[in-house]
Amino acid sequence: MIFNTPIFFWFFCIFILFYGFAFLKQTPKVYLLLVSSLVFYGAWNYSFIPLLVGSGIADYFIAQAIAKSPSKQGKKRWLTLSLVINLGILAIFKYADFAIESVADLLSVLGYQASFTTLSWVLPVGISFYTFQSLSYTIDVYRGDMKPRKGLVEFVAALSFFPQLVAGPILRAKHILPQMHKISLPKWLEAKHGFLLITVGLIKKTGADILAIPADKAFAAQESLSTLEMWTGVLAFAGQIYGDFSGYTDMAIGLALLLGFNIPLNFRVPYFAKSPVDFWRRWHISLSSWLKDYLYISLGGNRNNNRTRNVFLTMLLGGLWHGAAWTFVAWGAFHGAIITLTHYLANLAIFQRFNRSNTLWVSGLKWAITFYLILIGWVFFRATDIQSAFTIIGNLHTIGSASELGINAWTIFTLTTVWILLVHVMDYFVIKSADKLEQKNWQFWLVIIIGQALCLLIGEPSNEFIYFQF
Amino acid sequence: MSLSTSNFNEKKSAAGDEALNQNISINPTDDKRVFIKITLAIVLGMMAAMGLVRILLDANDANKQGILGRVLQAQAAVPQIITEPNDLVMFYGSSMTRAGFSPRKFDRDLKAMGKDITSFNFGFGGLNPYYQDLLSRRIAEQFVEKDRKLKLALIEFNPFQTTQKRWSRAQFTVDSYITMLANDEELWQILTEDLSRGIHLFNIKYIRNHVSAEMVTSYYSRELFPPQRGQRFKDDEATVTARRTLGRELGKLFEQEYPDYDGSDWYYPWQGAGTIPEERSAHTLSVFDEYYAASQTDAQMKNDRLSRIRSADIEELHFEPLLVESFINVVKNFQRFSEQIEVVMLPKNSRYIHYTPEAKIRLAQAIKQIEQATAIKIKNHQDIKEVTADMYRDTTHLSRYRGDIAYTDFLLKKYAHQL
Repeated sequence: MIFNTPIFFWFFCIFILFYGFAFLKQTPKVYLLLVSSLVFYGAWNYSFIPLLVGSGIADYFIAQAIAKSPSKQGKKRWLTLSLVINLGILAIFKYADFAIESVADLLSVLGYQASFTTLSWVLPVGISFYTFQSLSYTIDVYRGDMKPRKGLVEFVAALSFFPQLVAGPILRAKHILPQMHKISLPKWLEAKHGFLLITVGLIKKTGADILAIPADKAFAAQESLSTLEMWTGVLAFAGQIYGDFSGYTDMAIGLALLLGFNIPLNFRVPYFAKSPVDFWRRWHISLSSWLKDYLYISLGGNRNNNRTRNVFLTMLLGGLWHGAAWTFVAWGAFHGAIITLTHYLANLAIFQRFNRSNTLWVSGLKWAITFYLILIGWVFFRATDIQSAFTIIGNLHTIGSASELGINAWTIFTLTTVWILLVHVMDYFVIKSADKLEQKNWQFWLVIIIGQALCLLIGEPSNEFIYFQF
Repeated sequence: MSLSTSNFNEKKSAAGDEALNQNISINPTDDKRVFIKITLAIVLGMMAAMGLVRILLDANDANKQGILGRVLQAQAAVPQIITEPNDLVMFYGSSMTRAGFSPRKFDRDLKAMGKDITSFNFGFGGLNPYYQDLLSRRIAEQFVEKDRKLKLALIEFNPFQTTQKRWSRAQFTVDSYITMLANDEELWQILTEDLSRGIHLFNIKYIRNHVSAEMVTSYYSRELFPPQRGQRFKDDEATVTARRTLGRELGKLFEQEYPDYDGSDWYYPWQGAGTIPEERSAHTLSVFDEYYAASQTDAQMKNDRLSRIRSADIEELHFEPLLVESFINVVKNFQRFSEQIEVVMLPKNSRYIHYTPEAKIRLAQAIKQIEQATAIKIKNHQDIKEVTADMYRDTTHLSRYRGDIAYTDFLLKKYAHQL
């Protein structure tokens, strides 16, 4: 079920009637949430429900075992089991075919012709999100950051909580489990904020679907487009992926607010970032903070002069988290490289004045360099293969390309740029001043209704969310 | 670092974290009125937003009459057709049928042979076989219910409407057209097979007045993202000007000579398929001659060919299996209420359209599949000598008072004895 479809609207209408008026006590509410979440997930493919529930049950009991285990060694063994189960599920469903094909390609390069059978299994929707969420629980219990919770149903309900199940944000157990243990009724002001976020998310998603048209065209055509259209395509993809993903998480946060749950922010005007490090503080915050807390720190963090290696490895694996393809590895490696370079330059004496300066033109320059690098990164992310990515990057830097400008090329470029800027301004407003609008009843509902109407008016035949595939 | 969604949420988040740390419950309240407000906001908000959408659509004349007017007008005429006293002939097909068959001439010439026949042109542009299948079910239902049969059904197999390219370009219209042409039982069948799609279609039919969001996007994005036109051939300025001027003059002459015409796309007396030359003045016919001289130029024909290659794959003919199957269904639907059926392929302008050898093989395979499934032999009229290259207004459509007359004559010669 996709948030911006009629089936989800009716699903949510029916759900809210039960949730708000029939299942009034804590325990029935949790059961209702669990069943509804499984229906939501099963609407896509019910055969993967046991995998979702199974991994939740396993981690619930493993966490209990970790807490009960008297020795450090014993705790470690149980944690290893949790890692094997969760990463094993990911490895089998997401990375097995990639690994098999990569080995076959490597052998082919070495002169051995090998034929391997791939699994060709369907990738369960949201698998990367819920396995990471579940892992955070066992790791936190192992580290002593939280105590294991009682209540298996509550745990599985939290893991499968439908607003954020298939595309995040990745919730931490210590954040969601206490809320699930004592579900609070939303306050009207919170609900209004939820409605605003749902509307903003829908607007972003609708815009993202439209931006997919020039983006798809650019990444499919490659060589037959002018340099301007190529840049428009890459820019459009930057807008598309931001609108698509942040739109989804805005809707997720908004829906959760209507149910009395608070989900953390996942994006904070990312294309306003003034360095690659700053970008990762603003983009997919729940993933970057997860990787920082559970991978980067586990690798040693800043200690022992291994910061460069650890940053690079973290970003590389972060790239691979997105998908089983070399393009995602390249994207992760590219970001690892530019973050490392940023750290290196920050330590050079000649750059220190530049780093410290916050004048308008220096800030503008920092922003321009960062945005340029982010766009180049998106080429790796979106291209069908590494070779295509390099071809596109080459074309982006070809001055006076041979191809004739397409009809409306400048108009599309301008509209794409304006849209990305508008979305960021809208986000900035929501973060900074939404509560002022929410105090004004008449204006608030006018904005909501006009926003919703615009989103209902237009749409695309294929409007799946990009991050569902991860 | 705060991870909240707004200032408002930052406050709540901070309070929430504090509460969690101190093991205190979060915002306990038993105020159920909030859910009444939320439910009302969802329902009334959606109604208001949808109402606004309907106002915007209506303001732009986006409704099913505006989109499929000719088809729906023809469908609405079926009850009247069923009550016609004469034996009935129906020519069912694409815009090539619409341009190529003159019911008025057909009926008049048959009457001269002593046969009382009333024929109808059911040729519709933009309806690929998938949609034709749905429409033919609706026609069949009405004929079967009244126990009426067609004396002869002529069904056009149009290979250009049956290609993958044609299907992929129709994607924006599929949902809207389905809701206009399918009945509720068929939509319900879709819903039982795919709940999400079924609800989507019912939503388009009953809440969006048949106009899908995809169709609106397509309408606006066509302006912003026009298809690549590729190579263009140009006429000289005098020819272009003459074409425009003569076109306008023909419009005025039509209004003068047919003051009773009600403006509908499917007009019962001649169904938009053309009047007959004998009804037009000598002056009008001479203007037509001039107009054709200015519009059927080599450049225009070459441009049209390239455009149809891009939009319908007319020379390679990569068939879409679903559309071939749908065409088979069309024939089967007509078999329910027709005494005789002839499946024909209408003339094409072979001066400009040349199938590749692979296309010929694919076409032969498609024809074989249809013939095997329907037990009806397809008659190929694509290159009949009675229709010459000068009788087309473009590469596929016959011209008025020339091509349509020649082809209707050909049909009379072929099928009059069966009537």
